[in-house]
Amino acid sequence: MAFDIDRYTATSVGVRWDDLDLEDFRAHPLPERSLRTLRYMADVEYHTVCYTRDLLTTPSHREPDVSAFMTMWNREEFWHGEALAAVLAMHDITVDYDVLRASRLKLGWKDRLDPIKQSVLGSLVGADFVAVHMSWGAANEWSAITAYQRMAELEEHPVLAELLRRIAKQEARHVAFYTSQARERLAASTKAQKVTRFALSRFWAPVGSSINSTDDVRHVMTHLMSGTEGRRAARKVDESISGMPGLEGLTIVQDALEELGVPA
Amino acid sequence: MTRSPSSGPAEPAEFDVRAFARSAHGSLRDDLDLEAVAAAPLAPDVVAVLDTLAVLEGATMAHLRNVLVTNTHKDARVTAFLVTWAFEKFWIADALRAIVDASAGAGAGPGVGAEGRGSPPRTGTAAPGAAASAGRGPVRRAFAGITQGWAVVGAHMTVGLVDDRALGAAYARVAESSTSAALDAAVGRIVAVKGRHARFFDEEARRRLTTSPRAARLARRELRRTAWPLGGAALTAEQRAGFSRFAFGGPEGHARAADLERGIAALPGMDARTAAIVRRGLAGRSAA
Repeated sequence: MAFDIDRYTATSVGVRWDDLDLEDFRAHPLPERSLRTLRYMADVEYHTVCYTRDLLTTPSHREPDVSAFMTMWNREEFWHGEALAAVLAMHDITVDYDVLRASRLKLGWKDRLDPIKQSVLGSLVGADFVAVHMSWGAANEWSAITAYQRMAELEEHPVLAELLRRIAKQEARHVAFYTSQARERLAASTKAQKVTRFALSRFWAPVGSSINSTDDVRHVMTHLMSGTEGRRAARKVDESISGMPGLEGLTIVQDALEELGVPA
Repeated sequence: MTRSPSSGPAEPAEFDVRAFARSAHGSLRDDLDLEAVAAAPLAPDVVAVLDTLAVLEGATMAHLRNVLVTNTHKDARVTAFLVTWAFEKFWIADALRAIVDASAGAGAGPGVGAEGRGSPPRTGTAAPGAAASAGRGPVRRAFAGITQGWAVVGAHMTVGLVDDRALGAAYARVAESSTSAALDAAVGRIVAVKGRHARFFDEEARRRLTTSPRAARLARRELRRTAWPLGGAALTAEQRAGFSRFAFGGPEGHARAADLERGIAALPGMDARTAAIVRRGLAGRSAA
C-alpha cells in the first residue's frame, strides 16, 4: 500500500515525555552500559539532519513527497534526540548543542567528503541511486525500531520502556515511508536492484557507525544484538530487508555483527 | 580579530532555539477563514503571488541541500533551528495553498482538489521537478565549504535574513492591497510565525558578521551570487516576474526595495554594491 504522505504530515508531532516521571531515574538509575547505548542512540537521532544532507544530494529532493517526508522526519528525529538527552540528563550526562557540535567536529575529512561522494555517485548512477538511499534508510529505520525494542526489553524500566515505545512507534512510520519508496523504485528497475544490492552488501554498517568509534558500535551491538534473542532480532531485520525486490538473501545486519565479533 | 578554525562567534546568542523548537507552529489551517475567502475571491494578482509564495516558502529542502554540505551542518544549534524553521515553513506553504485554492473555488485553479491537507508545495509548471536552488550544486558548494570553515555559517545566516526580508516585502504588499479581513488575519498569522525566523537570522547574521571579517566577505559574495528569491528556480519565468512586479513594482514597491537595500547595506560588513545587486536580483534583473 502506498504511503499516505498527507496523513503523515498532518499527524507528525514531536515525541512527548513531559507526562513521564523522569525523576524515577534518580531513584532507579540505568546501568553504565545502558547509558552508553542511550548516548549512542541520542547522537544518531540528533545526527539525522546530517544524513539528510546525503539524501538531498540525490535528485529525490525535487520530489514533493520526499521533501515533505524529510521535513517531518528531521523534526521527529530531533525530538527523539531531545527525549533521550532528557533521560541522560537525569543521570547527569549533558548532551547539548555544544557537545553535539564538538562531536560533529571530530568527524573530519570523511564527513566533509561524503556529500561530494554521494553527489558524484548520484550523477553516475542517475535516478536509480535514490533507490539505494531509500533501501538504506529502510534498513536503518528497521534497525532503530529493533534497537529501541531490545533496549526496552533488556532494561525492564517502565519509564524508559514507555518512552522507547513512543519513539519506536514514530520510527515505524519512517520505515513505512522508506520501504514504500524503496519497493516501488526497486520493482521498477533491475539496475536499481543491482546497485542497491551491491551498495548494501558492500558498504552498509550499523546506523551510527559513521559518527561513533568502532568500540562504541561494538558495545551497542553487543548490548542489544548478542545472544539468542539479539540474534533473532537481527535476523528479523535481515528478513525484512531481503524481502524487498532484488535484495533476496541479503544478511547485512548479521554479517555486520559477525564482523564486529558480537557473540551469538 | 583572528579566530581559530573551530571557534564560533564570541558574543553569546540570545535567541532560545530550544524554546523555539518546543513551541513550533504546525498547520495553520484552523486559523484560516477559508469560507470567507471563497465567498469573496481575492484579486488575481494577489492569488498569483500567494501561489508563488507557497512555492518559495516550501523550498526549504533545496536550501538545506546547499547549506548542509558545508560547516553549517556541524553547528548543532543552527541545525536545530533549521529543522524547526523548515517545519514551520512547510505549514506556511500549506496555508498559502489553501487560501489560493479557496479563492479559486473548489474544482478550479492550479492543483485545486488534487492535493490534500498535508501536501507539499506545488512547483512552477514550466520547470517540473526543477531544483529550487539555482546555480552551484552540492559538489561545488561542498568543495568551497572545505576552505570556508565556520565563516560560511555567517554567510548562510545573512542569506536567510535577506530572503526573509524579501518575502516580508511581498507579504507587506499583500496586506496593503487586501480588502479581505480573512486574508489580513491569515497574513498576520503567517508574518507572526515568520517573526521568530527573522529574529534568529538577524541575531546570528549580525553576531557572526560583526566578529568575523571573513564571514562578512563570504556573505557579500554569497548575496551577490544568489538567485533571488531563494527557491526561485522552481518558479516559472512568469511567476518570478510576477513576484518582482507585485512586491517591488510601482512607487510603493520601489520604496520597499529601497528600504530592503538600505537594510542590507547597514548590516555589519555589507556594502552598497552588494545591497544594490540583491535589489536588482529581486527586481528580476540579473545578479553580478
